[in-house]
Amino acid sequence: MLNYYQTFIKTRFIGFLLALFIVSVSTSYAQSVTIKGTVVSEGDNQPVPGALVTVKGTQKGTVTDIDGEFSIEASVGETLIVSFVGFTTNAVLINANSTNINVTLAYSTSDLSEVVVVGYGSQIKREVTGSIQSVSEKDLKDLPVSSVAQKLQGRLAGVQINQTTGKPGQGMNVRIRGQLSVSGGSSPLYVVDGFPITGDINALNPDEIQEITVLKDAASTSLYGSRAANGVILITTKKGSVGQTNVNLNVYTGWQTVPEKGRLEMLNAEEFAQFKKEYYTDAGQPVPEIFQNPADFRNENNDWYGAMMETAPITSYNLTVTSNKEKVNTAVIMGYFDQKGVVRNTDYERFSLRLNTDYTVSDKVNVGVNIAPSYVVDNTPQTDGDRGTGLIFNALHTWPVMPIYEEDGKTLTSFNRFPANTGNIFAYPNWLRSADEITNETKVINVLANTYLEWKPIKGLSLKTTFNAELNNSNYFYFNPSTATNRINVALPTVASSVRDEYQGLSWLNENIATYGRSIGDHNFEALVGFSNQRYRQDRTRVAADTYADDRLPTIQGAININRGGTISGVNEWSLTSLFSRLTYNYKGKYLFTASVRGDGSSRFGADNRWGVFPSTSLGWVLSDEGFLNANSTVSFAKLRASYGVTGNNNIGNYTQYALVNNTINAAFGNTVFPGAGVTSLSNTNLGWETTTQFDIGLDFGLWDDRLTFVYDFYTKNTTNLLYAVQIPQESGFTNFNDNIGEIKFWGHEFSLTSVNTTGAFRWTTNANISFNRNEVIALADGIDRVYGSQHITKVGEPFGQFYGLVKLGNYANAEDLANSPQVPGRSTVGSIKLQDINGDGVITNGGDNDDRTIIGNPFPDFTYGIINNFAYKNWDASITASGSEGNQLYMRHLYSTANLDGVFNMVAKVKNRFRSPEDPGDGIFGTTVGGGNVTGIERDWNNSNFVYDASYFTIRNITVGYTFKNLPKTFKSARIYGSAQNVWVLTSYWGGSNPEVSMQGNGQGDGGNLSQGVDLGSYPVPRTITFGVNVTF
Amino acid sequence: MKKYILVILVASFALTGCEDFLTVVPETQLSSATFYKNQTDFEQAVNAAYVPLRSIINDRAWLLSEMHSDNTYYARNVLFGATDNQEDLADFSVPESNGTTANGHVLQQWRQDYLIIARTNQILALIDDVDFEAAAKANVKGQALFLRAYAYFELARYFGSVPLHLTPVAKRDEAALPLSTEAEIYAQIEKDLIEAVSLLPKKAVQTPGRATEGAARTLLANVYIQRKKWPEAEQILAPVLTHGYQLMGSYDLAFPGNTANKNNAESVFEVQFIEGAAGLNGNFIYQFMPRPISAAELQPIMGTSNPQNIDGEGNNIPTPDIIAAYEVGDKRKDASIGTVFLSGSFRTDKNYPYIKKHAKQHSQNNNTGTNWVVYRYAEVLLFMAEALNEQGKGGAAGYLNTVRARAGLNNSTAAGQTELREAIFKERRVELAFENKRWFDIVRTDRIQEIIVPYGQRIIANPLDYYYPPIAGAVPRSNAFTNIKKFYAYPAAESDLSPYF
Repeated sequence: MLNYYQTFIKTRFIGFLLALFIVSVSTSYAQSVTIKGTVVSEGDNQPVPGALVTVKGTQKGTVTDIDGEFSIEASVGETLIVSFVGFTTNAVLINANSTNINVTLAYSTSDLSEVVVVGYGSQIKREVTGSIQSVSEKDLKDLPVSSVAQKLQGRLAGVQINQTTGKPGQGMNVRIRGQLSVSGGSSPLYVVDGFPITGDINALNPDEIQEITVLKDAASTSLYGSRAANGVILITTKKGSVGQTNVNLNVYTGWQTVPEKGRLEMLNAEEFAQFKKEYYTDAGQPVPEIFQNPADFRNENNDWYGAMMETAPITSYNLTVTSNKEKVNTAVIMGYFDQKGVVRNTDYERFSLRLNTDYTVSDKVNVGVNIAPSYVVDNTPQTDGDRGTGLIFNALHTWPVMPIYEEDGKTLTSFNRFPANTGNIFAYPNWLRSADEITNETKVINVLANTYLEWKPIKGLSLKTTFNAELNNSNYFYFNPSTATNRINVALPTVASSVRDEYQGLSWLNENIATYGRSIGDHNFEALVGFSNQRYRQDRTRVAADTYADDRLPTIQGAININRGGTISGVNEWSLTSLFSRLTYNYKGKYLFTASVRGDGSSRFGADNRWGVFPSTSLGWVLSDEGFLNANSTVSFAKLRASYGVTGNNNIGNYTQYALVNNTINAAFGNTVFPGAGVTSLSNTNLGWETTTQFDIGLDFGLWDDRLTFVYDFYTKNTTNLLYAVQIPQESGFTNFNDNIGEIKFWGHEFSLTSVNTTGAFRWTTNANISFNRNEVIALADGIDRVYGSQHITKVGEPFGQFYGLVKLGNYANAEDLANSPQVPGRSTVGSIKLQDINGDGVITNGGDNDDRTIIGNPFPDFTYGIINNFAYKNWDASITASGSEGNQLYMRHLYSTANLDGVFNMVAKVKNRFRSPEDPGDGIFGTTVGGGNVTGIERDWNNSNFVYDASYFTIRNITVGYTFKNLPKTFKSARIYGSAQNVWVLTSYWGGSNPEVSMQGNGQGDGGNLSQGVDLGSYPVPRTITFGVNVTF
Repeated sequence: MKKYILVILVASFALTGCEDFLTVVPETQLSSATFYKNQTDFEQAVNAAYVPLRSIINDRAWLLSEMHSDNTYYARNVLFGATDNQEDLADFSVPESNGTTANGHVLQQWRQDYLIIARTNQILALIDDVDFEAAAKANVKGQALFLRAYAYFELARYFGSVPLHLTPVAKRDEAALPLSTEAEIYAQIEKDLIEAVSLLPKKAVQTPGRATEGAARTLLANVYIQRKKWPEAEQILAPVLTHGYQLMGSYDLAFPGNTANKNNAESVFEVQFIEGAAGLNGNFIYQFMPRPISAAELQPIMGTSNPQNIDGEGNNIPTPDIIAAYEVGDKRKDASIGTVFLSGSFRTDKNYPYIKKHAKQHSQNNNTGTNWVVYRYAEVLLFMAEALNEQGKGGAAGYLNTVRARAGLNNSTAAGQTELREAIFKERRVELAFENKRWFDIVRTDRIQEIIVPYGQRIIANPLDYYYPPIAGAVPRSNAFTNIKKFYAYPAAESDLSPYF
């Protein structure tokens, strides 16, 4: 295949490359003078260090020093452009007298004149007709977190970012405009320096980022065609500032803790013993001796969850060297990040390097190379997951009467089991040992490389060809020694086992783009055409082995048995060929028009449906340039925009269209294994992408010279042709048929505003946003109006993925209530859960389409919001970032064990108030224990509204306070120290655990990640982090 | 000029080469387009068609046809819930609405049988178009027909009318078919088996464990007996008597060990297991043990080096009824049923019976290679006795007494067709106890009312005799023995997807 690809490249592109390399070089000469000056800020008249001073239309430029002074060569008649982030740009015409000038920069509230990165290019913000939002690195730099997505929490309107687990470097769930797919992925497309990446965005050092642009509507995204439906996040990495060489060191260090507040409140040892005593008493059985005096356990509590937690350090170093002088623009960023975890034995380390270089060969030719290797070592115990696999869940439900430590108080116990006559059913290993002794490590090498060659043969025309490559090498190693286990009821020593899983991924992209821009009078045009080819291949080797002779030698050859069932070698490959074009036109910068189209051919699509076409168009009207608003001094800016377009989602699997044969369905005859093979899936040659058609209308508004700016968007979109493995009757021998089905409608409102509240010495700005996202399932497949998940239903006419189950009315209060109410035949008793007879047939049933289940909750919020306040006073600065979510619910799934009334596990403290008798009915949340699993099993095993709780939250994500030193020695360009607190305070009524953003994905039939959101099984807690940092520039 | 070069390049790119670049076939998996091309492919395909039998036998046949009778029951453990799927089967209280049930075992039985049918349909649809050696082809085809008939026979006995799939499903709209009548299903079963008999080799020359001519004849005889086609049963079975099958010297040797004694001289058809980590093992004997059982109590029965405690609720425990059914001096009683003391039990008498005849020593906990006998020669003899007796022919008692003699019992004293019918029915119960025959025998002889109804009354009246612990609330559920029917309801999950039932 590689040979083929090489030939392909040769024949198709060499000609094009040669054409680009034939360049002509021209230079020009002019008379110049040296101009000196000072840049100060308006109002407080403070010097502005670091302001950029360039000569318009040339490559010449410099930066002001610590006193705001600069010196530059320019010619009479040329214009100096002075700009600095946070200020309005000023232009000064050079005349014969301008040898020493003072430039005053006004504080800017508007960034409308800024250039923002858009798909395949950049645009002046005021001329953008799509719905986009950009965030600059200065807004993100102080947040002490490992990943980009964490830094964006609360900042973006219409983008919901949830941290579903506190595992370092993991669990960020990013969803743009509520986009969902039944079984295709819903994560946005990440494009780093023009290259859509295939690897994990968390491997990218956030300090390498200059700017992030989020593309939301179809007009902004449709140039990414079949990958754009989930939205696109463009990431631009750092470059040097013109004329400047900077060496910057940013270091922070601190510690993380899990606050006591918010932890799930479980029974302590005495309460647990009391429960056991009551359990036997209520059932009329003798109380086992050990539980006869619960007070014996008063000083012997074992908080298994708490014991798993520890205070953990976090450290980050970043050294950034940028230089943009002569013809070379270079940025080198070296990063080291180390986050120990708040759960024992967690360590996440990232070593990263980035080298960005642009070289101006001549006025007409530019070349550039970016190369960014990174290495991530993630050693995190298997904390998350269901009972028996997730250590957090395991720790929560372990009896608090079981000792964590031996008598000496230091040595961990290895195994806990009470005698069978105490009614214990399960045996527990020591989870702390599991965390300590089981290796669960992933090492990832990522190399991201971009190269380009740009040629501008005539004014306005740019021909650019790029080659990009991404290499991911991931090595997973799991070793479970014979001394530990993460499962209940496994006796120690157990069978030692190991898994090695290695992935090697290589993605190639070649893009060839021609851009031509020209103005004729007041008519401004820009046209873009391009074509690209991308190919990806991933090789996987997984080896599972067990029965080790010696735990100290976890090698493959040290295993007695290679587990063939768990040993896999596999290849995953796809290719994508695209043609794309965009036309941008505006008249006087007032009437704006853009149209674009992309055609994608993908190997993933069925042979009879290979090409998808994704068009879009958008319009803008700058109302404030019109006469009727021009004279209005209150309204400083107003733009109305609208867009419509089509995008796709090609996350449908690489080989889904094929009928595959599984050749490991082996048979036994006698004592011999015979290989067996059978068809396991049906082919669909028409299989295609998911299509999203989106309409967006927006208004950008600025008041009082843009001191207050306001952006509003309304969108409505329909996703059709959803990839779904339609369940078919298994009398066919198959479980499902992969098809494009159904329709989901999404709509929503987004508001964001920026406000400069005070100016002058004390400067206070506020950014706020709020988003309302809604969806409704319009259709599923023919003859199918619903898809069940383990706790969910996706049903026509309802929002996606709703919690589904029985409705709890209370507990049967007494014999009379029981006799007069519908029951679960053979199982309901006095004090057991009383459920609503929805179908009115007189009995409570659970299962089938016509039972008593109904929609009992919604994992999606009514709205999400964020608010960021920034303050500056003299040398001090501060910022507070907060965000929240309102109206979403969680399914407290762990209650199936942590409220198992049979007393086999430890339970939530609320079971103390369960039903005990008609005279002592408790608070109604939990029912009687009498009757055993036959009775309690209903409340535990049947999904019902007792599991659903409101999980609205308001979180103060971050508070940072900084101090910038002034009057520094000349060797320093700037110096700042800061303190930062992350995840400061969570306000929520949710009581099922410390993280109201949790969402564990279920497994059972009909479940995909999206179909089963908002399930809480207990997960790695999100820590509170306190750090102190130093940021120095030389 | 250069602009034109670009245009030409773009155009040439767009027009050629794309299809090759965009065709990426799976490298590490076979696809249906490249499979089913030669003898090896078909042999592998038929091997895979046997695979669902492991799941059927290991995990549910005994629930649906043995515990769903008066032979075995469960040992109630009040500390455990989520046991209603099994309890409902033993208690004849399978929940039912609109002719469907959510019982998971009923569902899985349906799915596994149809998986066999789909895999054999693939073979039978394609094998005639591929050229390979005639004897090998006949063998593969015969096995496929045998397996398809076996699966349909199970479905017909559990459900009655079911969809009749005879060609592979290729498209979504072919997935569901209307119900065919019981008569149509049986007609197809008979047709398939008659052809299988002519294609399959005899046991002496077949790979041990695969279907043989003798197995096909015995299965067909069972079908005829089910349909009360007595002369046909006698006729198809007679040649089996000359195939070299024989009763093993003692009763316990009729049941294969973990590695030895598999597919022995008495064996007509067995479902095959291999102990180990390759996933071909069984563990049914563990599912049959009463609980909670400690490692020490389990070890002598299993003989493993790493026994583990088992909690939960024990299933398939021999009832007092079956224990009482053995005549005095019947050697099969001790060979079939053992006793184990459970220290963790809440019962006063902590001794529980367990199914000893399937308990064979092995090495790894919860992982056995013991085969499961579906048909053995003793049943061939009893089929023969029944077929002759029902036709009023002589010779029936001879076959019956051959079976009794090995059990150390005197000749049957039954005289006349009616008495002999009873004698054969009783003999089948003890000879074939715990071999998943009892429910089918009760149904085909129309004795549900006669046997199951009083059995249920005994349990409700005397729960302590049926392994309930002496604990408040530990009594048979109020819906026990309220749904006593010939057929199981259709699985709800399949009904939801099919427009036909």
